[in-house]
This record gives sequence, C-alpha cells and structure tokens, in this order.
Amino acid sequence: MSLAHKGRWITLSGLVLLGGVYVRALAFTPVERLQGPAQKIFYIHVPAAIWTEAAMILVGLAGIFFLFLKDQRLDRFAEASAEVGTVFATIVLTTGPIWGKPIWGTWWTWDARLTSTLFLFFLYVGYLLVRGAVRDPGLRARYAAVLGVCGMCLVPFIHLSVFMFRTLHPQPIILKPSAPSLPNSMLETWLLSLGVFTLLYVGLVTQRYALSLARETRENGGRDLA
Amino acid sequence: MPEVPQNGGYMVAAYVVTAVILLVYAVSLYRRGNNP
Repeated sequence: MSLAHKGRWITLSGLVLLGGVYVRALAFTPVERLQGPAQKIFYIHVPAAIWTEAAMILVGLAGIFFLFLKDQRLDRFAEASAEVGTVFATIVLTTGPIWGKPIWGTWWTWDARLTSTLFLFFLYVGYLLVRGAVRDPGLRARYAAVLGVCGMCLVPFIHLSVFMFRTLHPQPIILKPSAPSLPNSMLETWLLSLGVFTLLYVGLVTQRYALSLARETRENGGRDLA
Repeated sequence: MPEVPQNGGYMVAAYVVTAVILLVYAVSLYRRGNNP
C-alpha cells in the first residue's frame, strides 16, 4: 500500500471516529450547568488548538534539523505539518468566536490569547505563501525553515499568555500542573476527541507528504525520491 | 438554581463548521493526490 493510500485510510478512519466523538459529546456527555450546551464546543475547540500548536512546534523542529542535515524529508514533513496546522488553526479561530458569543457576549476581543493565536494563523499563512513564492527549492526550504522556527518560538507564549496577562480567555483546565478540573465523563469525551484529532493530523500529514513526494518525483522525471 | 442557558444553536454551528472544514480539506487532498 502506497503512502498516499495509507494516509487516506487513516484520514477516513479519523473522520468516521470524529462522527463517534460527535455522538458521544452531544448525546452521552452531560451538559455543563452554567454554560449550557455551548460548553460542548470545548470537545472540538481544545483538541484542534492543541494540534494547531503542536503542528507548529513540529514545523519548527523539522526546520532546525533541516538547516543542519539538509534532508528533504524534513522539509516535506514541515510543509505538510504547516498546511494541516493551518486547517486546525482555522477550526480554532471559527469555533472559538462561536463559543465566545454566548458565554462572553462578544465574538472577539483583542486579548493576549486570541490575538497571539490569530498571529500564529497569519504565520502559518505566511509560511505557505513563502513556500509558494520562492522558486528555488533550496532557498525555499531554508526560508521556510527559519519562518517555522519563528512560529515555534511563538507557541509557548500563546500557551502562557493566559497566565502572563489578564485575558477574557480562561486558563487551561486540563493542560496545567494540577489535576484536570472537570468530571471524568467530560474528560473521557475530551480524551477521545484528542485521540481522533491526533489520528486526523497523522492521516492528513501523511497524505500531504505523499503529495509533495509525488510532485517532486514528477519534476525530477520520475526518479523515486522516497 | 439558575436555569441552564439555551444556546444549543451555537454548539451545532461549531460542530458543523468543524466537519465542513475537515471534509473540504480531506477532499482537496484526495483530488490533489489523484492529480499531483
């Protein structure tokens, strides 16, 4: 089975399991008393946010290693991770305001967490634009690697921004030094969702990596680059 | 005890938006993969 087919099957499994997460979250997970059903946006918003940040960290790490090793596989992986990270960032930046409106009374506020997440999205878009704009493959990979490292440096700031500044965005209730502050039934649904988003990340990145490989193979006259 | 807020529409909207974004991207990758 080719890499593209493996990616497709993993993605398809992730999408089917995402349906399972929807059913569990909507029908079998209790409604939070103060926020109401809108709180259930948590089960998709937070896993998508975690993978938005993790994807950029992986782009940055791949970039650092690429600058030393000049291995094209690292550049291909970084490109794939950045594109999938952009998709997850889009989910975060659309589900966040939809959750914020009924709870905060506003779609958007320029607080540190929201603004830095928007900045990360722009970094992702900038990264993809740079890749599209530079023709020379070696130069493109180097520019992209540097931009990826810059994006990676932003991620800890995004996570810690709710501790460093007064923000409307709440502090973490799971990714914090003490135990998660939510009941087991909600935590289990969230963990299931995180697992499914992880599967989707792996499937989508595998497909995108295979696509880059196929394009490079075609450009090099059919020589296998894997 | 305060009543639970009736804001299920926002929840449905967020879930639909997420599914649409993921499906559109998955289809885009599938199509690009068939014609690289």
